[in-house]
Amino acid sequence: MFFHIVLERNMQLHPRHFGRHLRDNLIAKLMKDVEGTCSGRHGFVVAITGIENIGKGMIRDGTGFVTFPVKYQCVVFRPFKGEILEAVVTMVNKMGFFAEAGPVQIFVSNHLIPDDMEFQSGDAPNYTTSDGSVKIQKDSEVRLKIIGTRVDATEIFCIGTIKDDFLGVINDPAST
Amino acid sequence: MAEKGGKGYSLPNKGGKSSLKSSSPKEASLKGKDDTSAKSKRGRKVQFNSEGSLEDNFNISSKSGGKLEIPPAKGDWSKGGKGDNKVNGGTGKPSVAKEPPKLELKIEPELPKNSKCLMDCEAAQMLEGIQEQMVILSEDPTIKIPLSFNRGLQYAKTGSHYTNPQSVRRVLETLTKHGVSDGEICLIANVCPETVDEVFALVPSLKPKWSQLRGPLSDVLSELAKLKHSTSSPSTG
Repeated sequence: MFFHIVLERNMQLHPRHFGRHLRDNLIAKLMKDVEGTCSGRHGFVVAITGIENIGKGMIRDGTGFVTFPVKYQCVVFRPFKGEILEAVVTMVNKMGFFAEAGPVQIFVSNHLIPDDMEFQSGDAPNYTTSDGSVKIQKDSEVRLKIIGTRVDATEIFCIGTIKDDFLGVINDPAST
Repeated sequence: MAEKGGKGYSLPNKGGKSSLKSSSPKEASLKGKDDTSAKSKRGRKVQFNSEGSLEDNFNISSKSGGKLEIPPAKGDWSKGGKGDNKVNGGTGKPSVAKEPPKLELKIEPELPKNSKCLMDCEAAQMLEGIQEQMVILSEDPTIKIPLSFNRGLQYAKTGSHYTNPQSVRRVLETLTKHGVSDGEICLIANVCPETVDEVFALVPSLKPKWSQLRGPLSDVLSELAKLKHSTSSPSTG
């Protein structure tokens, strides 16, 4: 789910960036340091939307660098347990399938796929119902529920399920 | 025409098929803590067929030393986990027939208080505005547009089912007076449900207010249907 939040960060700036473009340099460095990063609390920082406040700079002893406290607004994407997402399948194997929803990777184990869907190996591995009416394969769009999350330094990984009512395939690429 | 969602995939509560939910909340725990003592109390052996292999699956999916937060059965799966212990221990009834409570969405405690939940359509609108500025910035070779921005924008556009995000927000805000939280409102908007039953199935935290919300939700869904993108484009001569 997307959120619009205000975060604060201490930015260190080298004296060579001081001058009339100090603010622009500070904002550029903030964007470079923050956009695309991921944290457990806030999720992925997708984009910075604005700067709320830049505090007074404090000179660090011995180095000459100056630390500025910067408050900024940003759009973040963070998955939550219990959230319903629409994801695109990227890989299918006998253990389950991997899907992507935005910058987040989700794995759905075969134990959390309905029992009437079976794995079919081959050039295009997929999970198919016994009557062949519903198929999950690469590029299929599925609606799933997040049941667990794990955060690494640079990404968030989730476990999902489609073994509930109103979950499963939305769009099969073979049928379009 | 591919079906939306898996209506037919309701969970088998009864029967011997292996399913996370058909077993008791304790057996659903991946860690399997305290299972033996609980089993002996109830005096009935309940087999969780897929428990071991399920753990293996999650081990395969974990990459580095990051901790995988799967809610243990006693914790998030069941709010009254401790209460369930007392009930089972006292009455001795088998808990196989009990359906474990559904995982509920809890956003508010985990994010800063000044955060605002965005619907996918709102996020798409915001990110498209930023993308226009980024086109200018991308002419500078030293500036790289992060991959998560493109993925986030693409996801938001795909999940955006409505023509006017402001109207959608206005329609859904009417639910706040019935106690629906901001996160739940955004979830309803993102899911784009067709029926009231679908809303209650996908947002189980609303079920306690079923009688109160049924009417307003029905009205809201009919309003939202008018605001959806038309899926079929009219043919032009």
